[in-house]
Amino acid sequence: MIKVKNLHKTFGDLNVLAGIDEHITQGEVVVVIGPSGSGKSTFLRCLNLLEKPTDGEIFIDDEQINSKKANVNLIRQKMGMVFQQFNLFPHLTIIDNITLAPVLLKKMSKEDAVKKGMELLSRVGLSDKADSYPNQLSGGQKQRVAIARALAMEPEIMLFDEPTSALDPEMVGEVLDVMKDLAKSGMTMVVVTHEMGFAREVATRVLFMDQGVIMESGTPDEVFGNPQNERTVKFLSKVL
Amino acid sequence: MNTIADFFANVWNDFYADFYASFIKEDRYMLLLDGIGITIKVSLLAVILGIIIGMIIALFNLSNSKFLRAIGKVYTDVIRGTPSVTQLMIIYFVVFASVHLDKWIIAAIAFGINSGAYVSEIIRAGIMSIDKGQTEAGRSLGLNAAQTMSRIVVPQAVKNIFPALCNEFIVLIKETAIVGYVGLMDIQKAGDFIKSATYKPILPLIATAIIYFVIIKVLTLLLGLIEKHLRKSEVR
Repeated sequence: MIKVKNLHKTFGDLNVLAGIDEHITQGEVVVVIGPSGSGKSTFLRCLNLLEKPTDGEIFIDDEQINSKKANVNLIRQKMGMVFQQFNLFPHLTIIDNITLAPVLLKKMSKEDAVKKGMELLSRVGLSDKADSYPNQLSGGQKQRVAIARALAMEPEIMLFDEPTSALDPEMVGEVLDVMKDLAKSGMTMVVVTHEMGFAREVATRVLFMDQGVIMESGTPDEVFGNPQNERTVKFLSKVL
Repeated sequence: MNTIADFFANVWNDFYADFYASFIKEDRYMLLLDGIGITIKVSLLAVILGIIIGMIIALFNLSNSKFLRAIGKVYTDVIRGTPSVTQLMIIYFVVFASVHLDKWIIAAIAFGINSGAYVSEIIRAGIMSIDKGQTEAGRSLGLNAAQTMSRIVVPQAVKNIFPALCNEFIVLIKETAIVGYVGLMDIQKAGDFIKSATYKPILPLIATAIIYFVIIKVLTLLLGLIEKHLRKSEVR
């Protein structure tokens, strides 16, 4: 489903991604861990071209997305993205945040979009907030709305960029619960996070990144229980 | 006792004579009223042109094309770097020298061109004040650049831009007090005209100041109401 070949990304002199090869298949929940500055967020952002790769190829469903011919806007509709800072649209109500893209891009009628949006809101446990504005919600609630907003486009893949890092500790659980639920439903997910518990419990595969490359890849048991790479061992000893 | 009463009687008589000469005689108040019309006409058209030009130049300045950005930069530099009187006179006596348009329209075009440079900077700053995450969220949903701009960035920027834009309009109205240089009889010029007809400067100048003040005060109150309306979605 996602194929990455020899992906490089440099910012000026800084070599953030130094050659990544990765193959993610449908239904996988891939959790990317690693120290800050290891390039994991950049890797994720390259997958929907919020960062433009310097070199290498990315294929989604066998279509090369970083070629000149690719229709980036159409490809992005297949991939939902959830940000660390939520990035809800503060000038729109919660339900309008969710229905904006489907009405605009999928030519869905407003009524259908609202109906769908309300279903999604009840799925993340926030039906009563439909007519609120983002500023009236807590961080955890905002992030659950952001997930609902991404799901409204019916994506095939969901990308999570440190979705719980900006949350107060007591709100982390509610967001992880929604993500676990999503993983159970069979969604293909790529999650950059520092939540090792989530990685252990939910991931089908864990990637350890450092210095712009994938140092180690395996099931949670393999990576956490019996890490092969020296750097992985060092990193895990600090965070666990 | 008598002297004090006489004194006040004299003051009153002088004032009345001045007032009569300045405003009543030969219907001179009509000059001021017509002047108000000119000032408002020029300002209104200039504001509209200023917003249109400002939006275009702001888009130039924010575009990816080096060429368009260069045009935007030169425009802003030239307008900001020269006095508006000079710009007005160049546009009136040079650019539109052989074009038959009403004087006030030419003046409004000159002020619109001037205001556009400032408005473009206000718009640019307003758009840049919106967090980059907003654009990324829009694009990640599949919206193209134009849709993201019109549905997400601009509606938020408008609120930030509005107060600065109001300020620019107020400056613009007062700036039009130089249209006398190209022979238009606005409020300022009318006051000036009365002054030179009566050789009594105090009343016409004070009247000029009061008229500008009232116009701007009324406008400020109206714009304040609109701003309040714009901020409605910011309930917390």
